[in-house]
Amino acid sequence: MRGVLVLGTVVAACLLLLTVQTRGHSTPTAEALAFITTPIQSGLAKMNRAAVNVWSTYLDWKNVRAENRRLREENQQLRVESLQVTETAMENQRLRRLLALQQRLPLATLSAEIIAREWGGWVRSLTVNRGRGDNVARLTAVISPEGLIGRVMEVRSGTSVIQVLTDPASTVGAHVVRTRTAGIVEGEPRGTMRLKYMAREGGGIQVGDLVVTSGAGGVFPRGIPIGRVRAIDDRGSALFHYAVLAPVVDFARVDEVLLLTGDTRHDVAAAFPRDGGG
Amino acid sequence: MKTLFVLTVFGGGLVHATLAPALRIADVAPDIPLIVVILLALRRGPEFGCVAGFVAGLLQDVAAGGLIGVQALTKSLVGFGLGAAGGRLRVTQPLVQVPGLVLLTVAEGVVRFTLLQLFRFPAPFGELMTFVVLPQALYNGFLGAALVFALAWTDALKERAT
Repeated sequence: MRGVLVLGTVVAACLLLLTVQTRGHSTPTAEALAFITTPIQSGLAKMNRAAVNVWSTYLDWKNVRAENRRLREENQQLRVESLQVTETAMENQRLRRLLALQQRLPLATLSAEIIAREWGGWVRSLTVNRGRGDNVARLTAVISPEGLIGRVMEVRSGTSVIQVLTDPASTVGAHVVRTRTAGIVEGEPRGTMRLKYMAREGGGIQVGDLVVTSGAGGVFPRGIPIGRVRAIDDRGSALFHYAVLAPVVDFARVDEVLLLTGDTRHDVAAAFPRDGGG
Repeated sequence: MKTLFVLTVFGGGLVHATLAPALRIADVAPDIPLIVVILLALRRGPEFGCVAGFVAGLLQDVAAGGLIGVQALTKSLVGFGLGAAGGRLRVTQPLVQVPGLVLLTVAEGVVRFTLLQLFRFPAPFGELMTFVVLPQALYNGFLGAALVFALAWTDALKERAT
């Protein structure tokens, strides 16, 4: 019974409101009700805006974080690509220099890539990707655009092992360009080279003098740069004196070489730079 | 009790004005006050439901700027009717909640349309049902069911705590 009364009151109130409005008194009724609700509505709208702002700040932060992660990954990727490009550019430069040398030389040559290095004190050697199949012969001279690297000591089916100039067992006939003083360049266990058996008379060599192959023995063509005099070991009254050499080739960093496969009885000094050995 | 009533009904009405636009999906917003009225009617009975519907509808009418009293009347009828029938319904079942809320929203829409015809409301019935009432009814169904579930879960937690 009470429920029906409540319903009747409510329905009557609604119909009254509607009737009042249809009779043209809608504005005062609406204004009176709005007077009560507007302040609460404004307050809640402010709260809503604040909540939305907090939410959008959170979303912005989340987006920035995701973007940051993406940019980091992109940066990493670009760094790798940049390194690859730099590496390719350097390789390109090296190969161009090797090609230029190949074209300058009056000899038959075969380009090769270094695939392994033996850098212990006992043996100093490089392995290249050319072997018996490429008609590589033992004792073939190996050079780079900077100068002499060594000679082939072992030929295998697809590879060859090169004895580097700094190998303790390596000996190369050489002379000083400026004074024409002859001697033998030998490798040392500590990885350096020494020009030995220079006659005291007619010496007069100086630090910085360029030492090149003499061509004696027929293994190496004449005029390939070997190294520059770094120090002179004058042993007083001894018959010979010695010079410590700095190689013109950085054996640890060379990646591509040329194998001199043809006749080596040529003077190739003109094909190499004279200023700094590299 | 009165505080709860005021908070719930006023809160529902004003949350609708502020929060409903944010909850809009494909331009369909839920009728939060109607859901609140239904929940109150189910829990408190027909009188409570009727008054809650009246207040919530009145607030919506004022906020919307149309004829004041239309939604007050429809929502009070829904509140009363559901409050009276609530005892006979198994409203804890989601299979009842979703279609129940959908049907009630549609019923409220039909009653509102019928009432508005007295005031020469121009919109065609079919279009109104297809693009306004039915999508909103579906949205109300799922949102209301989620609220019922949340309330039940809260009650269970309270019981466990006591």
